[in-house]
Amino acid sequence: MTAASEVESSYERQDGDVVAGPARRRGPRGPLVAVPVIALLVAAPLVLGPYPVTTMTRILAFAVLVLSVDLLTGITGLPTLGQAAYFGVGGYTAVLTGLHVTSDAAVQVVAALAAGVIAAAATGWVAVRARGIVFLMLTLAIGESVHQVADTWKAVGGSNGLSGMPPISLFGGPPIIAAGFVYWWVLAVAIVVFAAVALVARSPYGRTLRGVRDNEARMRALGYRPTLARFGVFCLAGGVAGAGGALWVSQARFISPGDLGFEIAALALLSVVIGGRGSLWGPCLGAAVVLLVRDNLSAYVGGHGPLVLGCLFVAVVFLVPRGLAGLTAPTGVRRPAGPAGAHRRESAS
Amino acid sequence: MTALLELKDLTRSYGSLAAVDGVDLKVMPGERHALIGPNGAGKSTLFATVAGTLRATGGQVLFSGADVTSLPESERARRGMLRTYQHSSLFLGCSVLDNVALAVQRVHRVAHRFDRAAWRFRRAEAEANRHLDSVGLADRAGAKAAALSHGERRQLEVAMVLAAQPTLVMFDEPTAGMSAAETERFVELIQRLPGNLTLLIVEHDLDVVFRLADRVTVLHLGRVLASGPPERVQGDPQVQQAYLGTARTEDLFIEAGDR
Repeated sequence: MTAASEVESSYERQDGDVVAGPARRRGPRGPLVAVPVIALLVAAPLVLGPYPVTTMTRILAFAVLVLSVDLLTGITGLPTLGQAAYFGVGGYTAVLTGLHVTSDAAVQVVAALAAGVIAAAATGWVAVRARGIVFLMLTLAIGESVHQVADTWKAVGGSNGLSGMPPISLFGGPPIIAAGFVYWWVLAVAIVVFAAVALVARSPYGRTLRGVRDNEARMRALGYRPTLARFGVFCLAGGVAGAGGALWVSQARFISPGDLGFEIAALALLSVVIGGRGSLWGPCLGAAVVLLVRDNLSAYVGGHGPLVLGCLFVAVVFLVPRGLAGLTAPTGVRRPAGPAGAHRRESAS
Repeated sequence: MTALLELKDLTRSYGSLAAVDGVDLKVMPGERHALIGPNGAGKSTLFATVAGTLRATGGQVLFSGADVTSLPESERARRGMLRTYQHSSLFLGCSVLDNVALAVQRVHRVAHRFDRAAWRFRRAEAEANRHLDSVGLADRAGAKAAALSHGERRQLEVAMVLAAQPTLVMFDEPTAGMSAAETERFVELIQRLPGNLTLLIVEHDLDVVFRLADRVTVLHLGRVLASGPPERVQGDPQVQQAYLGTARTEDLFIEAGDR
């Protein structure tokens, strides 16, 4: 009998019966909020005109990209500016699939997701060896490189991008052109992706990732290989971003290098900061705010949308450092001030 | 009987300074081995070199007869060599339960599973709760680790290390900064550990050392000065001179200057 199992069995003798599992992470508020929100989102095309519906479709696709950034930045603690690259890889894959293979949207999403994972696996092994600002710079380099390739490679249309993708269809049905139907498809996929990311966040792997975020040295001392865990989540996030790219083009049926540039990457990271790192619904809300300010509010303030975004960013950083999600968190979860907070900073350095 | 942990001529240098200088040491299975020495004796460096946090610049570390000198820290931990930290090193943004569960889920080989929520891995979760309970933190399971007091953090450290199913636990100054009551609780906790668990303890508090240890090794200026049962080490004139207070302090400086 090993010493460890002896330890274990000595505890067994102490307590007798096995302790019940811990309370479920999600409070009872979870479904109470989720059900009406999903119902409202589903009902939106019934009451709104085509233009607001297409805007919402774009927001949903962008929110999927933002979720992938949150998986890296919020849960694993890796600030990234490279997710737009995998978003773009997914978008290009979906358009190419639509042009040359099939108009089936489900096939396009799966292909884009796979392409995102492969692209992230091929480039991520360099990035995951670093963390913090170095990781940020490496992902920026990856993003800019992929943007450059898209901008110059004639096979994918160069700087003109790829257009002429036929409308999507589903499971052999007729082409889907109405904005509302495209929206429902995108909403369905976005909800599935959200649920999948939520599952990852609450799984043992999600716990491993938070461990890597909080204290990498301690993870090694417990027998973990943090680089491996980071590489895994980088590939997962690449897949999520790729799926987001497919959703992005299902409405526009067009993609250009501008869709995977620095601006998109920066806006995605901004959405995570505004929404609240580590929360999942917060960054989705952040995605909506960011796109609405940039595309819709901009017209009313003389094209100064980016300026408004900048002010919003500064305001959030100073007023609600934990983002929109931090506004609703119960006070008990807030980081305690004083000595405990000081310890945290100490160990973070 | 072969030693569980054996150091052969272990050396760790920083440039021309050998912080650990040719240390030979054997720790038998089930032994409670304390490592003491005055400030700057190289205790912490030796500790980190054994754990794999620092790479040895010379010599060997053998664990259960296998040479682990070139293995990284994570691989040594997987083989059952677990360490704690002088300053509690926890996952402060995670819950107390998560801290222990991180150790358990690695041992259960489910640390990279994401097909189910963590609480559905009931065996791992129950074991994590059991470890928390054993150090008296069961009612704090849901709290953030950052909200724990200093003493509670040390208790959590112990739970984490035990949850990782160690055969050798290395404590780095476990009672540093503890109140007298907290130290007392900690010593009792260590005494309750099963007898076949091997402990290597670096400790400043000699009271704690002589209560817990059945062998003591005294380190001085990177070398082993004496090693043996506590009573013998306590009586060793060389040790008394170097460490236990009867030495005139200038002797230490002369010796240090000669090197």
